[in-house]
Amino acid sequence: MKKPMSRILSAVIASALALPGLAGAAPVKIGFINTITGAEAPIGETMTNGLDLALEDLKKQGLDLKVIRQDDTGKPDKAISAIEQLATGDEVTAVVGPYTSACANAVAKQAEQYGVSEVIPAASKEDITRQGYKWVFRVNAPAHVYARSLIDAALAFGKPKTVAFIYESTDFGSSLSKVGKEYAVSKGLKVVAEEAYQKGSPDYRSTLAKVKGQNPDLVFMVSYVADAILLMRQSRELGLKPQAFLGGGAGFDTSQFEGERDISTNVFSVTQWTPDSRPSAAAFAARYQARFGKRPTYHAACTYTSMMVVGAAVAKGGADRAKVREALATGSWQTIMGEVKFQAYDGFNNQNKVAMPVVQYQGGKSVTVYPPAVAKAKAVYPFPGWK
Amino acid sequence: MNVFFQSLLSGVLVGGVYALIGIGLTIIFGVMRVINFAHGDLLMLGMYVTWGLFTLFNIDPYLSLLITAPVLFLWGALLQKVFINRVLDALPQNQILLTIGLGLVMSNAVMLGFTSDYRILTTSYSSSSFRLFGLSVSEPLLFSFLVTVAITGALFWFLQTTDTGQAIRATAQDRDAAQLMGINVKRMSVLAFGLGTALAGIAGALLAPTYYIFPQVGGPFTLKAFVVVVLGGMGSVVGATLGGILIGVTESLSAVYVASGLKELVVYVLFLLILLFRPSGLLGKSRT
Repeated sequence: MKKPMSRILSAVIASALALPGLAGAAPVKIGFINTITGAEAPIGETMTNGLDLALEDLKKQGLDLKVIRQDDTGKPDKAISAIEQLATGDEVTAVVGPYTSACANAVAKQAEQYGVSEVIPAASKEDITRQGYKWVFRVNAPAHVYARSLIDAALAFGKPKTVAFIYESTDFGSSLSKVGKEYAVSKGLKVVAEEAYQKGSPDYRSTLAKVKGQNPDLVFMVSYVADAILLMRQSRELGLKPQAFLGGGAGFDTSQFEGERDISTNVFSVTQWTPDSRPSAAAFAARYQARFGKRPTYHAACTYTSMMVVGAAVAKGGADRAKVREALATGSWQTIMGEVKFQAYDGFNNQNKVAMPVVQYQGGKSVTVYPPAVAKAKAVYPFPGWK
Repeated sequence: MNVFFQSLLSGVLVGGVYALIGIGLTIIFGVMRVINFAHGDLLMLGMYVTWGLFTLFNIDPYLSLLITAPVLFLWGALLQKVFINRVLDALPQNQILLTIGLGLVMSNAVMLGFTSDYRILTTSYSSSSFRLFGLSVSEPLLFSFLVTVAITGALFWFLQTTDTGQAIRATAQDRDAAQLMGINVKRMSVLAFGLGTALAGIAGALLAPTYYIFPQVGGPFTLKAFVVVVLGGMGSVVGATLGGILIGVTESLSAVYVASGLKELVVYVLFLLILLFRPSGLLGKSRT
């Protein structure tokens, strides 16, 4: 923590720099907290790619930003030191990130305290935008939208009666499965199993055997990259065969998971964004594919959108933190995710409204299958069994 | 009932790999009285060697054991000659600090070279299984278990019947007396550390096709290896085998009958209870 005196001093310097004429050529500084190394690094990489594409586009618009990158390694304590460094040391105007719910939630509190706008691209813990924070904005949909979309889709495809939840005991896992359980019960589904697991175990077979013993119609899993693959591999081994596997985004929406065709085929997932949703999205996907040789996941699109929105706010408010916050809170933008507008509703604050389509892995590709208005293929339901 | 047998089976199979990790640790402790806190990191090295051979040369993870084991043996022998030998007569806390330090250097060096990304090995049999009496048996896990049994058997035979094996056991029983009988205890120490490292490396290779690989993967396995070894009795190979399977089964059954998130808790409570009643472990002889 800095002393009050030096904080006042730095505020004076910052506002002096923001004065027109004095600021002149100095580019506005934006912080980017991301998981560059660690367990969630494969997702972090797609977010970095999304951000880089956005910076290119902003540069073309004549907006030169200086992005200061920090690695949180997926750990909240590292994320907190990152925001402290960015807010007080580098004196950035706004922050994009971090990725995971646990990190984004920890950073939100600091951002509020330091008075720096935080634009969250892809963290979905419900509470993050429910705490009345003024400086915290979220582009992606919160957890209950994941759960609702998936369960609505399953109910539209068939007549499941029971559901089992398997989730990682992290902020994201517990938040998503909690709202999922509530919604499932309200739709008349019976929750027959609820298994929180500690990540890092080589063996989830006994947990899965227990779930199999309950014979659930739906298996709802919430995991990050490595465990999503591990859980599905072991489900295949044990012959767990519900009517549908529902994967709650995150690890279930990565190119790594898509590449494991033996275990990903016919699994449902839910996503914040699909390339086929609108022409600008398709153009973004083509550009991303050409540049990085991979399909962009929603994480990339959300980060791209977040950075574009921050860029637009900076174009309006300059380096001034309060003006940029004001621009974020009042503006609305046409983006590759549709219209982005930070609103207050249902207890949320500064929350963008996003409808989440449901995808299914068919023939090694993710295909949109729900809702019918945007569906590109017919869903395979019930699960036909393991090959 | 099916759930019970299913989780019992996977508990025994996973326990086999735990046993292998424990046996390596127990041999090192038995011969040198050095507690090797770098054991999990040696396992991590085994995983990376396996991963490297698989991605670069497309060598099957099980076949690569023939390379991984000797490579790790030499690495262990080198560590022993260069570092561990110098602290054999030092205070135990110095030895512990040295091994912790070696472990940190290894995991961070790997992180520097390969980043901390998770690597996943995908083989044609990574999620294969067959059915036996209504239970599904994981093929890679069963194969790992069979390899473990074969290696444990061979090791037992080696320690019991060969001259070198007997010399290692003699060194373990009494270092000074063994030296007086003309045994080259320094060489035995090098052999023992190499052997222990090779076993950790083999365990890493066996886990690689079904688990994921990252530089810090070793930590939890070091801890598990300690529980296995202390439970079975420090220095006892049979004890470590028993301890490994006991831990595997306890984890598996408690995930079903208590809660998935609490399986570690159950393991450590059981561990404490056993130590309360048998302070030297299941098969350990108390030293006086």
